This record gives sequence, structure tokens and C-alpha cells, in this order.
Amino acid sequence: MKAVILAAGEGKRLRPFTETMPKVMLPVANKPVLEHVLDALKNSGITEIILVVGYKKEVIMDYFKDYKEIKITYVVQDKQLGTAHALSKAENHINSSFIVIPGDNIIDRKSIAKLIQDTSEYCILIKEHPQPSKYGVVFIKDGKLKEIVEKPSEEIGRFISTGIYKLPKTIFKDIENFRLQGIYDLSSVIQNLIKQEKIINTILADSWMDIVYPWDLIHVNENMIRDVKSTIGGIIEKGVITKGDVLIGKETKIHSGCYIIGPVVIGEGCEIGPNACIFPSTTIGNNSIINPFTEIRNSVVMDDVHIGSNSFITHSIIARGTILRNHFSNIPGENTLEIEGEYKKVKNIGVMIGEDCTIESQVVAEPGIIIGRKCKIAPLKRLNKNIPSESKVM
Amino acid sequence: MCGIIGYIGFRNAKEVGIDCLKRLEYRGYDSAGISVIDKIQQVYKEVGEIKELEKKLPDIKGNISINHTRWATTGGVTKENAHPHLSTNKKIAIVHNGIIENFRKLKEQLIAKGYKFTSQTDSEVLAHLIEDNYKGDLEKAVFNALKQVEGYYAIVVTSSDEPDKIVGARKDSPLVIGVGDNENFLASDIPAFLKYTNRVIYLNDGELCSLTDKDVKVFDSNNNVVERNEDIIKWDFKDAEKSGFPHFMLKEIFDQKDTVAYVLRGRISEIDRKIEFHEKVENLLKSELDFINIVACGTSYYAGLVGKYLIEKLTGISVVVDLASEYRYFGPKKENSFVILITQSGETLDTLAALKEAKASGCKTLVITNVIGSSATRLSDSYVLTQSGPEIGVAATKTFTAQVITLFLIGLKIAFNQNKIGFDEVSKNILELKELPKIVRDALEKSPTILEIAKQIKHAKSVFFIGRGINYPLALEGALKLKEISYIHAEGFAAGELKHGPFALLTETTPVVAIATKDSTYDKILANIGEVKARGPTVLAIADDADTEIEKHADLVLRYTSHSELLSCIPIIVILQLLAYHVANLNGCSIDKPRNLAKSVTVE
Repeated sequence: MKAVILAAGEGKRLRPFTETMPKVMLPVANKPVLEHVLDALKNSGITEIILVVGYKKEVIMDYFKDYKEIKITYVVQDKQLGTAHALSKAENHINSSFIVIPGDNIIDRKSIAKLIQDTSEYCILIKEHPQPSKYGVVFIKDGKLKEIVEKPSEEIGRFISTGIYKLPKTIFKDIENFRLQGIYDLSSVIQNLIKQEKIINTILADSWMDIVYPWDLIHVNENMIRDVKSTIGGIIEKGVITKGDVLIGKETKIHSGCYIIGPVVIGEGCEIGPNACIFPSTTIGNNSIINPFTEIRNSVVMDDVHIGSNSFITHSIIARGTILRNHFSNIPGENTLEIEGEYKKVKNIGVMIGEDCTIESQVVAEPGIIIGRKCKIAPLKRLNKNIPSESKVM
Repeated sequence: MCGIIGYIGFRNAKEVGIDCLKRLEYRGYDSAGISVIDKIQQVYKEVGEIKELEKKLPDIKGNISINHTRWATTGGVTKENAHPHLSTNKKIAIVHNGIIENFRKLKEQLIAKGYKFTSQTDSEVLAHLIEDNYKGDLEKAVFNALKQVEGYYAIVVTSSDEPDKIVGARKDSPLVIGVGDNENFLASDIPAFLKYTNRVIYLNDGELCSLTDKDVKVFDSNNNVVERNEDIIKWDFKDAEKSGFPHFMLKEIFDQKDTVAYVLRGRISEIDRKIEFHEKVENLLKSELDFINIVACGTSYYAGLVGKYLIEKLTGISVVVDLASEYRYFGPKKENSFVILITQSGETLDTLAALKEAKASGCKTLVITNVIGSSATRLSDSYVLTQSGPEIGVAATKTFTAQVITLFLIGLKIAFNQNKIGFDEVSKNILELKELPKIVRDALEKSPTILEIAKQIKHAKSVFFIGRGINYPLALEGALKLKEISYIHAEGFAAGELKHGPFALLTETTPVVAIATKDSTYDKILANIGEVKARGPTVLAIADDADTEIEKHADLVLRYTSHSELLSCIPIIVILQLLAYHVANLNGCSIDKPRNLAKSVTVE
């Protein structure tokens, strides 16, 4: 069976991390989210994939091209006009029933396999969720879908749509018909099909996560690296202690006296220590440097990052190419954050730093602070509010 | 210089042949041809790109083919001169890359024996010569024929009398065997068959091989069977695709945000403050060095010129850079002197010849190349790989920056070995190297601005590039990039030399690109810009982002972010590459395959 992955979106709510890459390329356990999706599809028996790309498409195409014997056909959605419009771009490559899946969800292999094996014409994967109101809430009767309510203002149900469907080829005709009525969104198309008395089967997904806000990256990373198995690719000096599952990439060097408690994933070509501590659930990207006496917990550190000595980083995201000089520290805690006009209360959050920043020595960041890309921060600063991209703090 | 392919196996040999051939198009593309054995030799040739040939091909069955894409050297670009060439009895077909130096003599002898020639090429002589030696065994016939040949070659031969066999041989021209399951390949370069298999056997100079669909045999120069191990190629076929970019060149310019880090992999250690190479290289750099000779061609030569400034500045050792085609004949080759040879492909004939000459004279040789297993890596005393992945665009981009960084690392290592710099200075330089991906990303973000500036330059008949110090070779490289892909005449000059001649060529319609870094000659280059402005041309300055002075002097400014005096050359070159690309693209030029040029130049 073929699958269509929708990966054209920008992910505005994930800025600054999506300023240079589409949302589906954000790293989770040192692999783009989309790679996790492709792995799940491949392992559930999908052999051919149509990837709808748009925003920063080169980043995706450059990374994947064809992926592990799966043939990928790229189609381009130039303007992001809704999920139904994105799906319609794949029409010429589909000739029978197919799976459609958003590229920014993490889904397990078994749930996809169940969806493939289902014999009904239409089928949707649903999931129980603690905060249903930020998704499409679904109502079910006798295992069939009765209604989807997009982002309801009140808490009206506990099951949500994952946006993952099995659909027949005729869907493209329906999309075209509804487009003429001004409907561009796949869940609205499905809602209208229910009105036309089409039967839509539902399957409960085992495990499903999506990434909407920057801090979701920390939680999703934490969940995904639980399954990591210890592999040591680099050089571990005498006197390094590792416990639990620790994955270390090739050409990485861990210097003496480091203490690493898994699950931890460390990429290729890194240099760590001596005497650095890395605690669960941390991911460190490729070519990054962690200097002596630094402690990192429950954080996502991406590629080419340089962290000076005596730093303390927890519940945080440090994006590609950022330099933190010595004695950087962040305070974890609670904060109410504004994202694209919405206010969100977030607990236990550290700092989120965009690409290519330079932060000089002895800087402290308060909980939930977001620092844009290419910012320059002078020494001895206390960061207590968000800083837009390309700013200088003198 | 040409690209050749041989295929034998279970697939449709025409389709595989054309598919592989397209991946060798960078080696030449003025004509192409194919011969498939379907009972008899079915030969088709066409002038133009491979797709022209593909359009004209009928359905042909058959599981054995030889294929060729040509870049003319002897004989004009005509259908007759395209390969494959058939023997007089039409049973033996050959494709050839190289030059047969004694072909006139051989041709006369063969004509006297009654063989009939149909082309003006030197290559055709091989087909008739093999027929002349054929006594029922193709391998022996090829072996005996090649004994009479002077020159250099990679050839692939089939005979319709033995339709289950392909024979190949090489001397000084590249040929590799691709080993598949129930199919085997021969090609000038690995990317040709990488889609089908990543198992390769490198054929050494003077060796001959015979392939069936199941079996590969290699013979040495005395015709004895030799055992050969397969190598596994780690880069994927996917590495050779364009991934959404309109041209390979643009993709490869953008690749530099990663390749500037790849070239450092395993070589620098920030915490240990160390620069490491393989043992052989280390020993060479540790030995007593008081003079360095860099030898290369084309863009690699300019990388060498940049390297000269870097190494001289870091070590104080004098460096002389020579063109390989000159050095091989005229360069003094002192025993025990240190020679660095730079060749992207590792197969550039002039550079290989220079390497052989240098070795024969007892020089210590170090090769900087992108291709592991290439002739240069096997002939030299030691080599450093640029680790940049395959480069398809004919205009070198990412391999240039990787070569410059490699030379910088070599300079640093020598400086450290000779106590010119201490640990602290090494550490400072390592930190600056580590920042290169970020600095390159920043330069790449300027692409839309550079496009706007390119619009103002695209109608120029001639463009000058000027710079001082390390920026002088950058000006040369900037000019080379522009002229080779946009066909606009471009020249690089040392800024101080303008008044000693080139001014005569300067008119109001000659844009001048001035590289103005904040080094000790900054005031001087501002003065040079003033001299140029006084004569009316538009001046485009490339300056660092902290420079507030430059706007007053230049009409247009492009900025890079780097505060390292030596490594600022990397973002500057990225900007110059983008400028050349956009100008060429606006003018509708064939960017990945500029006219008359080919990627690896395996002829003299």
C-alpha cells in the first residue's frame, strides 16, 4: 500500500526552530521527526511513499532522497492552503486505497499495521488525549466516526483525531467538490462525508505524539529515547561511567571522569568532558562540544553546539550552531508563554535557544525563555524575557 | 577524456547502459553511443547529449552492452567519430577513454592488411587490432593487441562470437569494476553503477579483466590471474541527486554548510587541542621541512594559491605553487623536498604525471583528493581525503573549500610541529574552524541579495575581480567561476597591479568586484577602489559585517561574518560562487555542464 505524508507546513508556533527548517525536520533522538514517521511506515509494510513538501523543501529532499529501499515521490505544494489541498497534490500518484499521515506526528508501527489491515473503505486512527481541545475532538458510536469538532473552546470529549487515515482513491473527487465550496481542510472534508452517510471506521492508536509547541520537543524526545539500546561508536576514555542505555555515535570522544546516565543519545564527532555529567533524558547532536564540569539534564542539544565549562542546562533546547561560553545556567520552573497570540501555562520548563546564537560567560536564563536565532548576549546577563531573532543584548 | 560503461547481467542492457551513462555525463558530452549484443553487434551513435541518443534508440533486447559518452580529442565531433567502434568483420566492439599515441603507424599497418576504417579517431584502431589478434579467445586478443599500443587507455570490449563476456583493461585512465548479483559492471567512475551495486574492485594500471554475469577475473600485466578483494563504497547513490535544487552546482554550494565540518571530522580535537592526521601524513609533516611545493590544475591550483598564503602566514615556510602541466616538464624536483598535489578526482592526468615525476625524483609526496581509491591515492606517499561526497557540477565548489581547509590544517600542524605556534593558538584556531558551518550558513542566506546584484552584472562583457594578500587568489577563483559557467570574460588581479596594465582594459561598463577584508592592507584596497571609481565602473565590495566604512567607497556591498583573518576566505568564496551561479542562471547558461569543459580531465 502507498502512503502520502503531508510535510509542507512551516510550523509557525515552533519558531525560532522552524525559521530554517520545516517542522518535520526537527530532531527527536537525533533523527528528524519525519524519519521516525518513515521508519514506522516502512516497518508496517508500506513500500512506496508520496511526500508532499513545500516550506523549505530542499532541507527534506536533501536529507532523505530515497529512504532505505522505500521509493519516495516528492510533490510540491507551493502555498500552504490546508491539508486537503496538500493531499490533492498526490492525486496522480495514487491508484487505490492509501494511507495519509501528517509528517510531524510520532506514531508506532503497530497502529499503522492495524490501519492497513482494516477492511473498511474509510478508517481513522484516534487517540485519547489529556488536552483534547487543541486538536480535532472526535465522537464515536459503535466504533464508527460520528463527528469531528476542530479545536473546541470547551472540553467536550477525550478522544482526538490523529489526522492519520486510510482513504479510497475517490477522496480526490470529494476534495475537489468541497474545494469549490471553500473547504480546504481534510478533517472538514471527512466531516462532510459523514453527513453524506459514508461509514468511517475508527481504530485506537497505541502510541501517538505530535509536536505543536517548542517545549513538546523535550517531552517527545524524552519518550522516544526510552527505546534506545546502548551502542558505543566512539572513543571512551578510562574512568568514564555510563549506566542505563547510552548511544554514542562514531568519532565521538568521551573524556575521563564523565558520568552519563541513560537514556542518553550522543551523535557523531562530539567531544565531551572531562568530568561532564549527562543525565536522562538528553540528546546531543553531531559535532557538539561539552566542556569540563558541565551538567545537562532532560534536554535537546542539536548539532554543532558548543557548551563551555561549569554550565548547567536542564529541561532546555539548544539549537544548531549555538555557542554558550562558560558558566551558563538556566533555572527550570513554571511560566506562561505567548505563542502566536495564544497563552500557554507551561510547567517545569527551561530555556529554548534558537540557531547560531552566541551567549557569553555567566549568563542565567529564567524558566520558559525563548531566544531567537542569531542572537548575541553579552556576559553576566540575566535573561527574563523572550528575545527576538537577530537581537543583541549588550 | 570520456566516460565508458560495460554491462553484463540479467537486466535490459540498453536501459542499464543509458542510465549509467547519464551519471558519467560530467566526463564529457559532445556525442554518445551504445552497442548491445543481440545476436549481432547493434550499434547506435548520436551527436549531442545522451538524451539525444536515448530519443533515437529503438527497443533492443540483449543483456550485454558497452556504452560511451565522448569529449572529443582526436577527430571532430561527428557521428562516425562517436564510440563504440566496430572491427572490420563487425563482430568486435570497443569503447575507449585515453589517447593511442602510435595510432597512425598501427592504422597504416592495419590498412595494409585490408582492415577498413570508418572514422578519424585514434580509438578505432583498437577494434581492428583486436580483430587482427583474435583466435577464438577475446581476453588473449585484447591482451596481445594492447602489447602493441603506446599511450594510455581504459577500454571495454565485447565480441558477438562470445556474447557472455566483457573484457576491460586500463593504463593511466580510470576503470573500476562494479560487482553485483548475477550482473557485473565496468565504468570510468563509481557513481555510474552505484544505483545497482556498492561493491567495487579497483583495477590497477596495466591490468586486464574479464566479466561474465556471475564471475569477475582480473589478470596482471603478465596475464596471470590475480586475486582481488571487493571494496564497499559507503556513500549512497542518493548522494548524487539534486534534492530539489535546480542545479547540482547550487546544491553543492549549499552542501558547504556541512562539508566544511566533514573535512574536519576526526582531524581536530577541541578539548585535547590537537590536530591529527593518519600516521603516514603525520610522519611527513614531522620531517624537516623548509620548502613546500604545491602542484595542481584549474580550481585546485587556485586552492593551492590560497593555501600558499595560509601556510606561509602560519609557518613562515616559503611555498611555491605550480601548475601540474608545467611542473611535470619544467619544475625543479629536488630530492627529499615536500610536494603537495591537489586533485579533486584523483585522476587528473596532468597532476598524476606530475606526481609520478616528483616521486621518481625522490620528493616526499602528499595528495589532497576527494576520491578514495583513486590513482593519486595509490601512487602517492600519503594522502588526505577532503571527505566532501561526490561532486557532480563541473565547476568545483565544495571540494575547493574543503581543499583550502585541508591546506589550513596542514599549515597549522606544521606550525605546531615547528614550535611556531603553541597550544593556545592551536585552540583558538580550532574554535574558529568549528564556527565555519555557521559562517557558511550565514553567507548562503545572502543568496537572494546576491541574485539582485547578479541582475546588475549579467549584461557585462567583462568583469574584474581584485584583492590583496589571500584575497588575490580568491579574486582569481571568483573570476574563474564566473567565466567558466556564465561565459562572461572575467579576470582576477592583485589590486596593486591594476595600475601596471589592466587599467587599460577598464571601461565604465566593466563591473569590478573588490574583496576588502579588514586586514593590514584595508586602506590600500580602499585606495584601489577609489582609483577604479574615478574611471566610472560599478564597484561591488565584499566586506565583513563590522565594516562601516566601505559603503562610502563602493556602490554595492556584500557582507560576510567572520572575524578570523585567515578563515574569512571561506565565506568570501561562497559569496563569489553564488555570484557566478546567479549570473550564469540569469543568462540561461548550462550550469552543470558548461560548454567544452568536463569534470575530471584525464587527457593531457
